[in-house]
Amino acid sequence: MATGNKSSIWRINPGRLAAIPASVFLLIGFAGPLAMVIGYSFMPAHTFSLLQVPSLENYVSVVADSYYISFFWSLFLASTAVVILFLVCYPMAYGMAKIFGPWANLVTALIILPLLISENIRLFGWVLILLKNGILDGSLKYLFDVSASGLLYTVPSIVLGLVYVYLPFMLFPLVSGISMVPESLKDAASDLGASRWEIFWEVELPLSMPGIMIGGILTFILSLGSLAEAKILGGQAVVMIADDIESAFTFAQNWPKGSVLSVMLIGLSGVVVFLLFRRIDLDQIIGRR
Amino acid sequence: MFKNRINRRNFLQQTGVWAAAAAAGTLPRLAHAARDKELNIYCWEGYNSDDVLDPFRREFGAKVRAEGLTSDPDAVNRLRAGETKVWDLINLNNPWAREMMYPEGLIKPISRERFEPMYKDMMSEFHPPYSWAMDKAGKDLLGMTQRFGPFNFVVNTNKISRAMGEDQGFNVFLDPKMKGKYGILTYDNWNIYHMCVTAGVDPFKKHSKAEVAAYAKVCKQIFNGAKLLTDDLVQMNLALINGEIDAYFTGGTYTASPARFDGAKQVRGITPKSGPMNGKGGIVWIELTSVVNNPDPSPLAEEFLAYVQRADVSKKVAFAEGTYNPVTQMGSSKVLAQFNKEELDAIQWDTLEEEMSNSTDYDINPDYAEMYDIYSAAKRERES
Amino acid sequence: MKDKAETFLELKGLTKKFGEFTAVSEVDLQIAEGEFFTLVGPSGSGKTTMIRLLVGMDLPTSGDIILKGTRLNDVPANKRPTCMVFQNLALFPHRNVGENIEFPLKIAKVAPAVRRERAMALLEQLHLPLDFYDKGVNQCSGGERQRVALARALAFDPEILFFDEPLSALDFRLRKALEKELKDIHRETGKTFVYITHSLEEAMVMSDRIGIMKDGALVQIGTPNEIYNKPINKFVAQFMGEVNTLEVEAAGDMTVRDIKGEGTFEVKSMPDQFSRGYLIVRPEVMKLGPAASGLPNIMHGKFFNDYALGSRMQYQIRSPSGDQWLVERLQDEVFDGTFGDTVALGWRPEDSILVSE
Repeated sequence: MATGNKSSIWRINPGRLAAIPASVFLLIGFAGPLAMVIGYSFMPAHTFSLLQVPSLENYVSVVADSYYISFFWSLFLASTAVVILFLVCYPMAYGMAKIFGPWANLVTALIILPLLISENIRLFGWVLILLKNGILDGSLKYLFDVSASGLLYTVPSIVLGLVYVYLPFMLFPLVSGISMVPESLKDAASDLGASRWEIFWEVELPLSMPGIMIGGILTFILSLGSLAEAKILGGQAVVMIADDIESAFTFAQNWPKGSVLSVMLIGLSGVVVFLLFRRIDLDQIIGRR
Repeated sequence: MFKNRINRRNFLQQTGVWAAAAAAGTLPRLAHAARDKELNIYCWEGYNSDDVLDPFRREFGAKVRAEGLTSDPDAVNRLRAGETKVWDLINLNNPWAREMMYPEGLIKPISRERFEPMYKDMMSEFHPPYSWAMDKAGKDLLGMTQRFGPFNFVVNTNKISRAMGEDQGFNVFLDPKMKGKYGILTYDNWNIYHMCVTAGVDPFKKHSKAEVAAYAKVCKQIFNGAKLLTDDLVQMNLALINGEIDAYFTGGTYTASPARFDGAKQVRGITPKSGPMNGKGGIVWIELTSVVNNPDPSPLAEEFLAYVQRADVSKKVAFAEGTYNPVTQMGSSKVLAQFNKEELDAIQWDTLEEEMSNSTDYDINPDYAEMYDIYSAAKRERES
Repeated sequence: MKDKAETFLELKGLTKKFGEFTAVSEVDLQIAEGEFFTLVGPSGSGKTTMIRLLVGMDLPTSGDIILKGTRLNDVPANKRPTCMVFQNLALFPHRNVGENIEFPLKIAKVAPAVRRERAMALLEQLHLPLDFYDKGVNQCSGGERQRVALARALAFDPEILFFDEPLSALDFRLRKALEKELKDIHRETGKTFVYITHSLEEAMVMSDRIGIMKDGALVQIGTPNEIYNKPINKFVAQFMGEVNTLEVEAAGDMTVRDIKGEGTFEVKSMPDQFSRGYLIVRPEVMKLGPAASGLPNIMHGKFFNDYALGSRMQYQIRSPSGDQWLVERLQDEVFDGTFGDTVALGWRPEDSILVSE
């Protein structure tokens, strides 16, 4: 619509006006701290001021050090957790979207309810279950005279923790992703000769991809930055990068090093997300293109 | 209180302190006039408990804000960064006041006339002049002691006897048979000290290359043999009680007391009988509460220092929340009478004097930064 | 090509119940090879259930579906040699036009080069530009999407092609054009088409034969002309479009009387043992005003309104009892009466249809 009054740009674009508070908030709450972290990463080691001569010293020392191990474990654990989460959640999500009907609400409630309890407490619950002479071990010993004592403080127990804690973040995007697949498309595929498996592979999976992508990225990023699972369930069987970052900022009193590690983690997450989004064109999938 | 226990909650608290500091910094002198009824305490967890603070608030009609801190050097760094404008009292481990804060003008002396007599009522080790509470010249009194405790390692006495632990000291953890049977409580700064001790090196001095190498070797070995790592003393005690592990590296009265108070008497802090620190093998920490050199001081700061010396308040500080610790005031029979048998047993009162005599005082490690890097690399590179 | 009279698809007592509700009831039907057969019925008549049974998306409660002598009942949808064009077309939005068309070939493991060749041929056959191959299906217009859906179904090379009201969402002009195009494609391919729609008009244009459905049953089957000219009951007649319906009773040999007393009318034929029923007179055979004079069947009513229908004019006459009668005339023989005037309507006995129910 042409108002003829070009100077009052805000009046003809209320959307932009309405976006100002959110933009300011983002700038202060998101871009600001990020810029500070990036700034600190170039400051001399063990210093606490941003007003010094920048250098690449910290990047060099981090690359030379053995932090690649922590990055490897974070990436490995996060990827493993995402794959397992997908395999566990897809059938559940399918049931909730297509089969359970009104019972899906109950399932939703049962899954959301534990979120009201602190993550650390829930993880500690698992410690009590998996502990030597704990609930699982004790019950198995009593009932079947078999021992299950070696479960806690291992890499699989970290994966268990990640899968357990981040399940809703995979499940609910999947539910909405699967709900987006019209039944008629599945009928059509079947009518055109596709078997159950071919329907899944050719129609359901690609069309629920937006949900899969969101769930996958969400859980991947969360797992990558997770701290408590490796600490509480894993007994730090391996050190994840988030733990290194925390230590650098606290015990080591080395903010610049912690910032370097943070910048590298953020960069890594960014690259992974970017590559995924490039490979899979969401707009095409949901048919906007 | 203690010792670099950092978890998410503390991290948030820390953030809150920063926010408060930032606010105070940006509004320089607005509250100038009203500080005689205001007191800000920056302390290890314990003094910020309402059990301790509420009676003081009532008695003095004061607005008291207390924030828990999470690391000694961190706290000192903040005072250096200008938070002397925010805080009135600071509660840190013993070396910082004399070695750093006072020389740098971050704290100021308290009235020797008023407070020195109180040291006479403390346990004999703390009788005046108590060196950690005095400046280097031995002239000014820099603060008051209260909580303290030996901090070395903790065993399940059903698996490792107290005598064996005390005789072998940290060598217990180097025994091949212990591989996979102990945990590491990741109070990282303490672990660095104790790994030095395990390597036969005194942590509180400048180190030679050979000593650092010996430390690095022990770091690797201790990490590679550990069954679990956690910074949660409750989880660690649970693993000890359930038989998941037989001992944990770095711990003491502070970490063992909650389990002992719950009846798990087999959980016990052990102080080695001998070691590389002038023959001593144990380390003891002592908290010192000092008055911050606030340009706009609160008159309540010294009042609070006197208040926490009272018998009933001393007891509340000792048994604040989460962990229980002896207090130096227990040298007075009036204070000691506040504790029942169970409570004394929880803090290993029976062996405390002996453990103290086998310990050296917590101090500053001049090679901390370098050793921390070695430590964190060993943790990452751990074979699991 | 086989003899068209030979039965190709046969339904025997086909029934589908959902609990207590019978959606399809005892349907018997034979369709010849190459025939364009259309099932017509209002919504709820069971035609959608019927087609779902035919393509295998639902299983019949009883009865048989036999294709070329083979019973199809237990053959799952993806194994049936039939294929459907869906009401919403059900094109795969994550695939481009070419991939949509090739879908059944891909499933059948046809080599990519062969698939592409076939897709191109189908694009051409359906008058779509070849560069549509790479176009996103959601970039296509409604008519283009129709053609893509049809091409995809043809790529499957089905024995029978089913259509579930695929044109219903299109605007009038496009629908009219595609109706004819579909009939042309039927002619070109020689495939058997089974089409369902709620629009008898659509069915008339395209079909060889039409089956009218009501309440799950097939009411009448016949060629478009048979259905139009000889509806077997009031439902079929009214379904054919606007008709004048008079409730009548027998009043003698080849004579019926309107029960509201509008008059007594001659008919050319009468069902056996007729006592009471309906007399149906289409608006276009009705004569109005002077043109009605001299006809054996005459009624009177007030001229109420007129409507322009493009090539024709329609007039509404209200009977004394309030019934509405319609008369249609071509534009070149308009009626110029005055609203409110009493006018005469009349028709020849051979132009009316008498049904019992």
